[in-house]
Amino acid sequence: MPDLPDDRDRPGTPDLPDDRNGFDTPSRPAGPPAGPGRTRERTAVPETPPAPSGAPSAAPAGVIHDIGYRHYDGVRLGRAHAAGALTLHTLRGVFGLGRPARSKIIPFALATIMMFPTVVSIGVMALIKRDPIISYTGYAVTMQVVLAIFLAAQSPYTVAPDLRFRVLPLYLSRPVRLLDYVGAKVAAMTAAMFLVLAVPLTVLFVGELVIDPPGPAHTSDYLTALAGAVVLAVTLSCLGVAIASFTPRRGLGVAAVIAFYLLTSAVSGALAAMLESVNDYTAAAWAWVINPFFLVDAAVQVGLLGAKASGPTTYPAGAGVVVTILAVVALIALSVTALILRYRKAASR
Amino acid sequence: MTILATEGLTRRFPRVTALDGLTVDVGPGVTGLVGANGAGKSTLIKILLGLLAPSAGRAEVLGMDVTTRGAEIRGAVGYMPEHDCLPPDLSATEFTVHMGQMAGLPRTAARERAADVLRHVGLYEERYRAMGGYSTGMKQRVKLAQALAHDPRLVFLDEPTNGLDPQGRDEMLALIRRIGTEFGISVLVTSHLLGELERICDHVIVIDGGRLLRSSPISDFTQTTRTVVVEVEEGRDALAARLTELGETVTPHGRTLLVDIRTPETFDTLRDAVCDLDLHLVRMEQGRQRIEDVFREPADA
Repeated sequence: MPDLPDDRDRPGTPDLPDDRNGFDTPSRPAGPPAGPGRTRERTAVPETPPAPSGAPSAAPAGVIHDIGYRHYDGVRLGRAHAAGALTLHTLRGVFGLGRPARSKIIPFALATIMMFPTVVSIGVMALIKRDPIISYTGYAVTMQVVLAIFLAAQSPYTVAPDLRFRVLPLYLSRPVRLLDYVGAKVAAMTAAMFLVLAVPLTVLFVGELVIDPPGPAHTSDYLTALAGAVVLAVTLSCLGVAIASFTPRRGLGVAAVIAFYLLTSAVSGALAAMLESVNDYTAAAWAWVINPFFLVDAAVQVGLLGAKASGPTTYPAGAGVVVTILAVVALIALSVTALILRYRKAASR
Repeated sequence: MTILATEGLTRRFPRVTALDGLTVDVGPGVTGLVGANGAGKSTLIKILLGLLAPSAGRAEVLGMDVTTRGAEIRGAVGYMPEHDCLPPDLSATEFTVHMGQMAGLPRTAARERAADVLRHVGLYEERYRAMGGYSTGMKQRVKLAQALAHDPRLVFLDEPTNGLDPQGRDEMLALIRRIGTEFGISVLVTSHLLGELERICDHVIVIDGGRLLRSSPISDFTQTTRTVVVEVEEGRDALAARLTELGETVTPHGRTLLVDIRTPETFDTLRDAVCDLDLHLVRMEQGRQRIEDVFREPADA
């Protein structure tokens, strides 16, 4: 009796298909189509003799064209490119672009609300030829509730899903490092906050230039407001992302960020009102800047750039300005440190 | 040519030693990494990706040291984690494009690659839908696609058949085999199911408790033994008795009999015995060693 047919001992070609029924039929499917498209054989895979005879090697007629696997020979960019791609991807995510329609509702609704004062001001300017009814430097402070809701609603989106659905380990298996990741997330949220604030300001300014009401254009006010918007976006985004990163649950993150805003603004308002009622206006000025919106206004727009205070009262003056600036820097540093520590821990798991 | 090599690789955690003096050498092709849960497979992959520093010993991937050139390794290697890693509100296309970019591909190239790779793993129209609604099989395919998005030279697949039904498992295994041969990408695939790896690997590494149990080409594992497996419909015991009577060594094994091949005449004896007893012969094949046997027998090889 001849040896039983056996094609399984050939080195490098263990058999593929199910042979558990015990029949030693050459049931191997057609071997890899050696068609065009295998442009580059990179590793020397021990692919010895052709697939066992008997196995039909022609592709099924129904398949139109299987061009096979193609290797990539193009450029490979570095970490900076990857970090940039992550920033853009996150920024798109904040506005729900490339996501289901329901993800777009909240960010675009809030961005639209942010436009209201601009639209009304332009209308008023056009009708009665007077200065914008909302000041450039006061825009952020006036609209702070909307900005806070935007921050609370969208900053958890930048970090929570990656933690919850464990995408983070996948990012870390790519060339980007932990700091690149954290940086990209904060940068994306900052860009989003800045856009939400800077677009209405810019539209308002363009409107003012076009309508040209009597008196000089408020160019320096506009630029001051933009500078304030940059710092405000950085501060709020660092804070928001840091708070949100502590929970993988998006809803919890939203609640935590909004709670932070409500707490600071309530404490600040109540304390200031109390101090003003006993005529201690210096202390009340300090109480106001507990609110991060007033803090940034006091430090940058008023303190550094000499704008008129947008808050309900005056801000700490003189050495107080330095303190508010330091407070802004400390707030950013604290948030970033918390973020890094948080992600060190998350990555080690 | 060595794809990856470790030398005395050790990783201690506060409570456990995950890897203990592991020395292996892996060539191109499909390599299986077998071990029970907690044997140190995932720890090994993390070290090889440069994400975890070894406590002692060294490791090289594609000729690059994991402790100093981790970022370069990660750019040249693909990784499919064991756990879920897909954001549910993204489509497979968006996600694969994004992960390709994260590995350094320009956006247009990443788009092209994503379309190619998703087609190869067998995702067609559904790739434009949000991944939250995908079945486990589809999710595993996307996870595999993102690992291939940047055309790596080596992929680490951590338990790729986890949670798949038998058909999905077969398709996944066939795909992995294609990656190793047709695509020309070396594969390190982990599993705790030994039978699967036997079907697709060129080389198998068995680890247990962080130690190397065995590392050898698949042909060593499944080399033919000097036995023949016989299955008859009924009368197994009668056949066993007859063969023993004729001087053959017979071991019952489930529904089959294992008969030692003393001389080529054993086959004739066997055939005649079946004919004489008028039995229905179901199959007769050369016995072979299975990977399972490595665990069953002490590793003496």
